[in-house]
Amino acid sequence: MQFSLTSLLLLGISCLVSARSLTINIPVSSPLPNPHVLPATTHATLTTLPSGGKDHILSASLTRSASFVFRDLPSSGPDSQPESYLLDIRSAGEYVFAPYRVDVAADGTILGVWETFRGNPWDNLGAVKYIVDVAATKQDDVVVEAKVVARKAFYEERAKFSPMSLVKNPMILLAIVAMGLMFGMPKLMENMDPELRAEFEQHSRASPISGATNNAMTGGGFDLAGWMAGTSAHPTTNTDAAQGGATGRDTSGPARKRG
Amino acid sequence: MRLQAALFFAVCLSPAAAIYNDEVNHIDFHHALLGSPSPDSTFFLKPSSTSNASLLYTISDKLLVGAINPRDGALLWRQNLSRSADSPARGGLLRGLDGNDAVVGAAGNYISSWSAQDGKLAWENRYSEGVVADLELLELEDATATPGIRDTIAVVGSEGSGIVRRLDGNSGNIKWEYRDDSGDVPFQVSSSPTEVFYISLQSAMLKGYRIKVTVLDPVTGKQVRQQTLNSESDVATPESVLFVGANTASPIIVWTDKSQKSLKVNVIGTKEINSVAIDNTSGLDIRKITVHAAHKTNALPHFLVHYATEAGAWAEVYHVDMKSSKVTKAYQLPYLPGHSVVATSVIDANVFFTRVTDSEAVVVSSASHGILGRWNLPESSDVALHAVSDLVTRGGSVSVRSAVFREHGDWQLIRNGQIEWIRNEGLIDAVAATWAEVDAQEGLAHELEVEGHETIYGAYIHRVKRHVRDLQYLQQWLKHIPERILSSIFSDEVTNLDSFGLATPVLVATKNGRVYALDTGKHGAVLWSVQAVETSEWDVKAILTSPGTATIYPNDGSSVTLKVSTGDIISRTASSDSKIHSIAVFGAQEASSLTTVGVREDGSPVTAFDEVNGFLVTTSVDGRVLGWIAKDNKSPVWEFLPPSGQKVVHATARPVHDPVASIGKVLGDRSVLYKYLNTNLALVTAVNEKTNIASFYLLDGVSGKVLHATTQSGVDTTQPIASAMSENWFAFSFWGDIDSNESSAKGYQLVISELYESPFPNDRGPLDSASNYSSLHSSVESPPLPHVISQAFMIPEPISHMTVTQTRQGITTRQLLCTLPSSNSIVGIPRPVLDPRRPVDRDATAAETEEGLFRYAPYFDFDGKWYLSHARDVAGIKQVLSRPTLLESTSLIFAFGSDIYGTRATPSQAFDVLGKSFSKLQLVLTVVALGVGVAILAPMTRRKQVNALWKAT
Repeated sequence: MQFSLTSLLLLGISCLVSARSLTINIPVSSPLPNPHVLPATTHATLTTLPSGGKDHILSASLTRSASFVFRDLPSSGPDSQPESYLLDIRSAGEYVFAPYRVDVAADGTILGVWETFRGNPWDNLGAVKYIVDVAATKQDDVVVEAKVVARKAFYEERAKFSPMSLVKNPMILLAIVAMGLMFGMPKLMENMDPELRAEFEQHSRASPISGATNNAMTGGGFDLAGWMAGTSAHPTTNTDAAQGGATGRDTSGPARKRG
Repeated sequence: MRLQAALFFAVCLSPAAAIYNDEVNHIDFHHALLGSPSPDSTFFLKPSSTSNASLLYTISDKLLVGAINPRDGALLWRQNLSRSADSPARGGLLRGLDGNDAVVGAAGNYISSWSAQDGKLAWENRYSEGVVADLELLELEDATATPGIRDTIAVVGSEGSGIVRRLDGNSGNIKWEYRDDSGDVPFQVSSSPTEVFYISLQSAMLKGYRIKVTVLDPVTGKQVRQQTLNSESDVATPESVLFVGANTASPIIVWTDKSQKSLKVNVIGTKEINSVAIDNTSGLDIRKITVHAAHKTNALPHFLVHYATEAGAWAEVYHVDMKSSKVTKAYQLPYLPGHSVVATSVIDANVFFTRVTDSEAVVVSSASHGILGRWNLPESSDVALHAVSDLVTRGGSVSVRSAVFREHGDWQLIRNGQIEWIRNEGLIDAVAATWAEVDAQEGLAHELEVEGHETIYGAYIHRVKRHVRDLQYLQQWLKHIPERILSSIFSDEVTNLDSFGLATPVLVATKNGRVYALDTGKHGAVLWSVQAVETSEWDVKAILTSPGTATIYPNDGSSVTLKVSTGDIISRTASSDSKIHSIAVFGAQEASSLTTVGVREDGSPVTAFDEVNGFLVTTSVDGRVLGWIAKDNKSPVWEFLPPSGQKVVHATARPVHDPVASIGKVLGDRSVLYKYLNTNLALVTAVNEKTNIASFYLLDGVSGKVLHATTQSGVDTTQPIASAMSENWFAFSFWGDIDSNESSAKGYQLVISELYESPFPNDRGPLDSASNYSSLHSSVESPPLPHVISQAFMIPEPISHMTVTQTRQGITTRQLLCTLPSSNSIVGIPRPVLDPRRPVDRDATAAETEEGLFRYAPYFDFDGKWYLSHARDVAGIKQVLSRPTLLESTSLIFAFGSDIYGTRATPSQAFDVLGKSFSKLQLVLTVVALGVGVAILAPMTRRKQVNALWKAT
């Protein structure tokens, strides 16, 4: 990769194809269905480190045809080095464009345009957008397409009040189930076989679920206040909380289990 | 400590504290400014041939081209030509023509055409030959031309020659070029359907200028004929020519003789000079003559000459006879004392003049002197400088709207005598700003003070009396209770929080010596504005506020004290000889008395600051950092010189109000990393422009010792290098390029560093057992060096200015406020994202996740929810201020420089405010529903219990 790039650069310098202007078109894409909605402040910039008095920051405004045109790319003496620019397109923060790498030869011709990745070495090239063709005929204008990556959402959505959301609330659902049991259970029991009913009543008295509920009532569960105060080392262990129960904080646990 | 951890964790779960859609324009306000509109390049224009409504276009003194909706004064689009123009321009030019859907602007050597509807670029050109001296749109009826597109004629003036170019309306390419190498001064251009006139000024033998008119063929650009007018006795400078018409509506060149006794008018293309006597009945010298003529090509060739003297003004209307090239006076608008301005408007072929004086607006037709409409205007002490107007006739009556620009920087739209909107364009020059302190509670504070100084019995009587006095407001208060309850439940408004210090006025000082007070509660409306100083270069260094008053310190050592409520100037102090580089303020912002010490350009304090016990760190113009102590303003205690080749470009310190809620950082395993907290830190940025190196030095302000230093290579020193500091961390950003040994990436970088007392948790380093320590005299190594953890991130955009949000207690997470100049936004990056302890190349462990840490990624994009300015185009911001409010969650933000923008930031969400999403109605309904449920269930349970009792026995 490294070798091919350098060789390409060398070839590009040697043949001196005069491509002096760079046009970037904004295509229709799913994040941006209509490129004409972009605000007028949208602009593209080519940036590099200042060297040899050349323009190191070039800027182009958005045109009516939703493109950017860089005319007269800076050229310097034939003995100077080719320059590698970072191409950014910025549109009031809203639309995010992929950054490009633009290599310009010393005489102002474009050697190549590649996609690049921020936070990666500069030599990691992405998809080739344009590359100088040694064999081809003279090309004056290089035209590449921009790539819209995403659209930023600036605003937070406010949760809307709806009766359905209220019903979906687990607390309300629990209450409804409890109500259903309260009203429905006696009816069910009445319809049951008397023998079966007696067995059921006996069963429910000795059930482990009710035993656990009783246990929880006397100080089980996670003691948040205790954990915050730093007295309980392990927030989730019941034994710790049970020990703390001796200090009179046991009531705080069930008290907060409201609803 | 665990509460901290819990709070922090909660914050991390929801780091986005974005603005809600319905809070836009409620919690924030924005003045999108252009600057003073240029008198010659401001006009009403229909943006396209299909639209009925016209927009107001202008190019300002700041070279901003903008379109304004005349209905509400909102800015539709703007473009900054000063960025593109290479050579500094004397002023911009903007031309538009009905039927052309683009406006053409020029500044310096840069000429560009912008779509009139949406401000997008049609074409642009940069001329290496010279500066664009004039431009006109060609009204040529060309069979081949597409409708809606007109060609441009531009005059480019360079050394010794003038070039006339016809530019294609679609592409901006040159159709033809006429070169005049005679050495004349290129002046202006004018056009008619059949000819193009190039007007240049030829230096006469002895003195003065002869006006030379070159007639060109519009199709080929060849010279048809040439005429020279003998004007050398009258025209001494190019400014002596008062007016050159743009097209057939005003085919004239106007100047006066030296004594201003007669007006000379030449119909362009002819050789005759009409001389009209100026009928000056006022007896005073004429101060200013302005010529107003229609711009639309089909209009009658009538023009108005406006004469202004010291005390008053009158105007004369002339008609041009195109056949005989004669100019005749039609009528005169009477002499009126005071100031007046005239604007021209055209309906069909008729020309109308609107004269706006201090007290009224009058519309006349150019054909006769009969007054078509007259409206009284509200009193204004502000002098009108120039105006443009747009006229409609309905039946027999006329309706006019005039955009009047006034001396103090207000741009008003007056529609039939009513002010529709005001744009405060003067705010574009803002150089300093601060929040005022209103003295609303001062009366109560005074009463309480009285009580405190009396005997117990006396104080008791005083208090009873005060409460009895307060009873008079009881009835009023009771009356408002039902209204308040209802409005708090049903109204759509976000909770009114003005009493928590959220609606504090902001004082803004501008470069031309004006002070504005903006009401942040009412969309930043101007409460008052005063001319504090008569100057054009007011370099304000500091504004100090105390309850009720504000004192402004400019760089000449003087000061002006204003009353915050009205803007009245209370006192002034005279300026001192020495020029002041900056102002140092002693004493906390809350303290009643603040002292200031001016700092000279060489970094030395103007006076010794005996009365205050403190030290001072200053920077000098030649790039040194100096430390001073009280009593000695001659020789510094310490001096910091960056390595040779580097110069100090920026220095920053912790904000004055920077409370630290916790002295340590709790780690996932409940151990603590102690923060390195030193109030005397200063972060100094030094650059070497030749080797592209930027160094950042962390200094101790008392001893001058370098606590930490870092050097970045491959830095573009011409791009902004912003830095900010707070608590135990600092951040800076720069353009970093490929460097052989350090970096292989190209792009903008943001570096964050945190300072800790020790690399080990639960360890306080050398300060562990010390009860107090001194930076200078101490047994331990003084001051101890911090343990610095840094991380760098690639960011998508440059940052031109950085600051940190401030809250009352500092418990709320901080945001790093960054100004993004290339996308015209202000973004608040939450600190948890910028944590240098984020794990690199591995996922976070459970303990780290509990701390809120997540895996480091070298690149982060700014989340849309971080944008404080959301979709607004906040341009040209030079400084962002932050101020705590009485609500811990909320910080006020104010940005200025070119635009004015104010908002509130809630970095950890508005946790202490019941926001709009809290539905009071829902709460009430729930309580009612529960009540009903209890009422139904209670008898049932009671019955059940009774039944159970009977069953048991």
